[in-house]
Amino acid sequence: MTREFHPLVKRLLDGELTLGDLPLELRREGEEALRLLAPLDRAPVTLSPALDARVMATLRRRAGSPATVRESFRARRVWRWISAPRDVEIRLRVRPWAVGALAAAAVLATLVLGRSSAPPVGDAVAAFGSTRPGVLVRFVLYAPGARRVAIAGTFNQWDREATPLAPAGRTGVWTTTLALAPGQHQYAFVVDGARWVPDPAAPAVDDGFGRRNSVVAIAGPGGRAL
Amino acid sequence: MSAQVDVPARLAGRVPPEVVAVVRGVVDSAAARGLPVEPLVQKALEGGAKGVPAERVIAAVRALAGELDASAGALRSAGLAAPDGDAIEAGAFALTAGLQEGQVRELAHASRTPVGPAATLRVAATLAALGVPAKETVKLVRRTIEAGRAAIDLLDLPDRVESEIARGATPAQAAAGLARAAAHLPVGPPDVPPGRERSRKP
Repeated sequence: MTREFHPLVKRLLDGELTLGDLPLELRREGEEALRLLAPLDRAPVTLSPALDARVMATLRRRAGSPATVRESFRARRVWRWISAPRDVEIRLRVRPWAVGALAAAAVLATLVLGRSSAPPVGDAVAAFGSTRPGVLVRFVLYAPGARRVAIAGTFNQWDREATPLAPAGRTGVWTTTLALAPGQHQYAFVVDGARWVPDPAAPAVDDGFGRRNSVVAIAGPGGRAL
Repeated sequence: MSAQVDVPARLAGRVPPEVVAVVRGVVDSAAARGLPVEPLVQKALEGGAKGVPAERVIAAVRALAGELDASAGALRSAGLAAPDGDAIEAGAFALTAGLQEGQVRELAHASRTPVGPAATLRVAATLAALGVPAKETVKLVRRTIEAGRAAIDLLDLPDRVESEIARGATPAQAAAGLARAAAHLPVGPPDVPPGRERSRKP
């Protein structure tokens, strides 16, 4: 059995929306989804670029209440102090030989660290042997009762075994994150090695065999999941 | 091009032998016409993975070759003398999603840098896959481009349509509303690197 979350709830899970952004009728579903995914939140997360805007929006909302005006005003001043650009002048007295030594140390550090550093997320190397840069895409399926869930598609030669999803405890939620190369990709989930299930949160097209394939496209300058 | 894809090696053990033989012929023929062949191999692999009977796999691979041909023709008639494999694949994706050949041509002709025909067609195909009727899809994408909107606005269209659908609109209503908005919203200022607009010294 699979369960389809509402697209807005999916955006809530992705951190693009807050519970407060959801329509009233979706809040209960949103709360349940958050509860189910709570174990996943222990994993490291990347802060959303929209965080600044959300923080400021929260501060603005709180500022509406008389009891919190002062606190909010102070928070806003702190925020401005943190985020405002400043000209910084640093005056150093150094001896010429020290500059040379520092430059040599910097070159050495660059060489040593450059060899061991992992690629940044934005330039993640696509899986499955491709050397093209990829975009990280997270796939989630709610399939309580499933013993095994995998994803198969054009990005892994439609191999039903190659890319298993990880269960989030006993919540019935299964997830994986893949680096996808630019282009369009068709895929489906494979539940218990036999049942093909389209992604309830993704657009779908006819697969030519009487079923539906889910689609995700990576397009545009810099690559973006559509 | 077919030399780059060893069809028997890719399909061995994944599909019945008769499928391998036919797909090899389809791939060679497609390569000779300058079409991308990887989607054809992928369609055969998909059929094998799903346990589809051989004749249906062959039919699906042939149908896809036809769509790649149609896409290449539409792109050429849009003014792209030698369309690349990426754009041809994107056009075929749009056809699979429900657009007509003439609509692929229209969108390829309307596309502008930095997005380009391949990404434009992928946006349109994704909209169609979300359930937006082909006519509304073309109208929305064209209006967004012609209004001079930024590339990100075009790439955002599927997300915005999904949001409207989540609020209760039909896919057609969502697209029509966004098309009207695209035509009327003022175009933003050109991108300026952060901090550039601020004077450095008083």
